[in-house]
Amino acid sequence: MPVARNRALISIFVIAAVVSASALFIYWAVHSPLQVQRFLVRLVLISLIIFLAILFIRYFALLWFGYLQHTEKTIRGRGASDFAPPVTVIVPAYNEARLLDDAIAALLALDYPTYEVIIVDDGSTDNTATVARRWEGRHGNAAVRVLTKANGGKATALNTGIAHARYAFVLCMDADSWIEPQTLHAVMPHFIDPSVGAVAGNVKIANRDHWLTRLQALEYIEGLNMPRRAQGFIGAVNIVPGPVGVFRIEALEEVGGYDIDTFAEDADLTLKLISAGWKIIYEDSAVTWTQGPTNVLDLIQQRYRWTRGILQAIGKRKQILLRPFPDFPLWLSAIEMTFEGILWPVLNVYAHLFFAVVALVYGMGELLLYWWILLTLLDLVVALITVSMEEESLSLVPYAIIYRFFFILFLDVTKTFAAIEEALNLGMDWGKLRRIAFAPAAEDGSQ
Amino acid sequence: MTVIDLLIMIIVVTILVTIALGVMTYIAYKLRLARRPSQYANETSTAQYFVLHEPADLSEASEADAT
Repeated sequence: MPVARNRALISIFVIAAVVSASALFIYWAVHSPLQVQRFLVRLVLISLIIFLAILFIRYFALLWFGYLQHTEKTIRGRGASDFAPPVTVIVPAYNEARLLDDAIAALLALDYPTYEVIIVDDGSTDNTATVARRWEGRHGNAAVRVLTKANGGKATALNTGIAHARYAFVLCMDADSWIEPQTLHAVMPHFIDPSVGAVAGNVKIANRDHWLTRLQALEYIEGLNMPRRAQGFIGAVNIVPGPVGVFRIEALEEVGGYDIDTFAEDADLTLKLISAGWKIIYEDSAVTWTQGPTNVLDLIQQRYRWTRGILQAIGKRKQILLRPFPDFPLWLSAIEMTFEGILWPVLNVYAHLFFAVVALVYGMGELLLYWWILLTLLDLVVALITVSMEEESLSLVPYAIIYRFFFILFLDVTKTFAAIEEALNLGMDWGKLRRIAFAPAAEDGSQ
Repeated sequence: MTVIDLLIMIIVVTILVTIALGVMTYIAYKLRLARRPSQYANETSTAQYFVLHEPADLSEASEADAT
């Protein structure tokens, strides 16, 4: 039996087992003796309070620290330094022929004195190498080189680029991303501090002509960039995102570059850098536009890979979770990753299911309604604050109404199954998302 | 049925339908994976980069030189 079919059958068996166990529990709860049911009602109330408390604390902590980071940045000013050492930009590409031209054109428009672009063709089966070779040579301040290698995954392509980099700093990006011209100028002054090993940029969704990608645009602002902003303030950025991360070569050499044993090489490398004592900074004006999946199954595939990859990165360092000291930033990063990667999605799905069933069976619907109204108001306020902080279009704010009760809940189901599959150590493939050519600059983005 | 009852019904149905949709979409994703060939069919567990590569013809040539 082919490996892929075997894996799918095992996965479906796991899904059936989880769904059946949940259904059996609900059936037992509904048909249990009165005393047990009373206990369950109390349990619902306590769970509701705990769930809300976690949600509120998480939201307010992220908002507060995010706000402080934003204020600190505003007071200090943006990119006022002349520090502009030469940089190598590495573009790993696997079957990206359709998007590569746009990515390279954006790179050659970077407003920066000296840089080189290395395109690493990771054994593509389309004409990626041919497209890349058309750009080889010198273009103003930039020189473009193309390397080809046997297919081995993104991490190996990035390692190849790093090994061939001429300069002391590298910008690692995705071939389906489009970097804003001022990115390097915004990032490089952070490296004046010799303890800074990497700077994480701000990833935004470029294609916003579809309801699914508009929800992702809001998710990137509210769910990814806001936590990263908060992490930046407390010095615990736990993922330098794949589409835009700038690294000090010395730091990469010290930790041995990207490992190839996880599906979230960016999260894994960031944890390695933190373990080695390097500081990670978040720079919100280093903007990169990326393609959000326009197909629901592609989106599920992306989130499945992210969840399992992050869990693999944490799994390599399980012992850290129990040791807050002496390396507190590392512990905090690992705890946050675990919370966001496993605990929160599972808790979110089961809390919703639990409350819906209790509302139906025990007639506690009003409680659910007030809870929903409260959360929706909170989501709208958070969306308004974060969208304003990012100077994005306010037209994204109304999407907050369906953000939590549909979009996040829907994705958390996948994350829950992905976490279970990772715990069971089931095999997986990287998977390649289908991309369309770049849409013109985001219609509603102010950038 | 009051407005509050209607709202409660909408919320409960939305939650249950979203979770059911999530499960069904996940199954559809797994079935899609099963239909296409594995990306890394040979399932290599070792690094393909930074692995010392010795071309076969080179070693044969050195053997020929030795003889």
